[in-house]
Amino acid sequence: MKEENILTVDDLSVSYGKFNAVQNVSFSVRRGEIFGLLGPNGAGKTSTLSAVEGLLKPQGGTIIVDGNDAVAKPLHARASLGVQLQSTSFQTELYVIEVLQLYAGIYGVPMSKNDLLGILREINLEDQATKKFGQLSGGQQQRVSLVIATIHNPKLVLLDEPTTGLDPQSRRQLWERIEAIRDKGHAVLITTHSMEEAESVCDRIAIIDHGRVIAIDTPQAMIDKHRNDPEVIAVSRRGKITLEDVFIALTGKAIRG
Amino acid sequence: METSIPKTSTILKTLLRADLTTQWRNRRAVILTLIVPVIILVSWKVYIPKFGGPFVLSNSIAIGLIATGLMGYSNSIARDREKGIFQRLRVGPLPAWTIMGSRIMVQLGMIFLIATFVFIAGYEFDGVKLTAGGYALSYLTSIAGGLLYLGVGQAIVGGIRSPETVNATSRLIYFVFIMSGMFGEILLSEGVGGKILHDIIVWSPYGTVKTIVAVGMEPAKWNNEASMALLVTFGYTIVFAFMGIKWFKWTSK
Repeated sequence: MKEENILTVDDLSVSYGKFNAVQNVSFSVRRGEIFGLLGPNGAGKTSTLSAVEGLLKPQGGTIIVDGNDAVAKPLHARASLGVQLQSTSFQTELYVIEVLQLYAGIYGVPMSKNDLLGILREINLEDQATKKFGQLSGGQQQRVSLVIATIHNPKLVLLDEPTTGLDPQSRRQLWERIEAIRDKGHAVLITTHSMEEAESVCDRIAIIDHGRVIAIDTPQAMIDKHRNDPEVIAVSRRGKITLEDVFIALTGKAIRG
Repeated sequence: METSIPKTSTILKTLLRADLTTQWRNRRAVILTLIVPVIILVSWKVYIPKFGGPFVLSNSIAIGLIATGLMGYSNSIARDREKGIFQRLRVGPLPAWTIMGSRIMVQLGMIFLIATFVFIAGYEFDGVKLTAGGYALSYLTSIAGGLLYLGVGQAIVGGIRSPETVNATSRLIYFVFIMSGMFGEILLSEGVGGKILHDIIVWSPYGTVKTIVAVGMEPAKWNNEASMALLVTFGYTIVFAFMGIKWFKWTSK
């Protein structure tokens, strides 16, 4: 069966004044795939994601979301996207169920109160329906954010560092939810700093540094390909080569902003 | 197959419901916005024999309009921008104008509420009663004035990113408008200040709004000066709104 690309990013460039944050980046995300975008701080991950989301206008290149050009037809492209931003915040005065209702309406999905409660029941938050978003714990907030990102059954879900700040239990639970999204046939593009997360969840990954993609492959293939590189062996710990070793070898040891 | 996008009317209705709920949950702030004009109405009762009912009512409405349009609007926009609420909305399939359009509609509702509240309080406390035409025209001039202060509020959040600075700036402008508009006119009537001060006060964003609202209460007295004040009000609105939209950034970073 031919692999269908839900997202195609081709030769993307994003600049802030004279600073080139993203330079000629190309990659694609296939249906039923979790694709990880990895990179040190300031590497260009969030800028790439923001361009896909339509939050900033690229200086060059094309972004095709489910057949729609994200620059020429931004509303059509965004209708196919489900998004969880890095620091999600919803209207502080609204209850959780009202926030769900708001986003269901924005995506044109008519839902009754029972439908909304059913969604909250699925993520074990039915009893939190009339609490404000800010009153939820970090893990609960992430669950609500994820359910909002997928409320319209999007073909592509963008998750910007979704597990940052979560405890191991919440993180594992979120991984399972992300995998469940993939298993329903959706594509997922995730940015993360966690190599453990990339190895555990992602089907393919791209490492981005200084605004350029420097490697794309499956996590295991990337480890296998670089296993014998002297730089990788030099940074490895306890004799076992991990994705983190490959990542450090490819992007350098220097701490980024 | 082309992806379908929701109707703009559906989106606007959804946003409006959320924004109205937010406004309702902030009712303590709404009550404060309504109380200040009433305090002016009650405390300025002594000026009614000298300046007339429309003078006091129009000042009360103008102050209420500044509180909601300039302070309420600009502060809520700055706060939500800082929290990233706009960015979250913008990644949805909705035209950007609907986000602000919904908020402006809520503010117009507030303007209507303020005018109604002042008319009721003016009748109850000061015995000021207008003709049906006077009430109708006053609502229209109140909306025109409210739009001007929304424009000023937009210019403030367009030019300033930090919510704290937006808050401080809007308070300062509120204070300047009160001092120059309300008390300035009383001082002028006492013979204090010259023509330049008079022109500044009368043609300031406070003065023109006060003029159109005051004359609007007595439609028979509508004159060239009121028409000119209305034009100047529109002019201010266009200039401030243009600056506010041109400078506006959706993120505070």
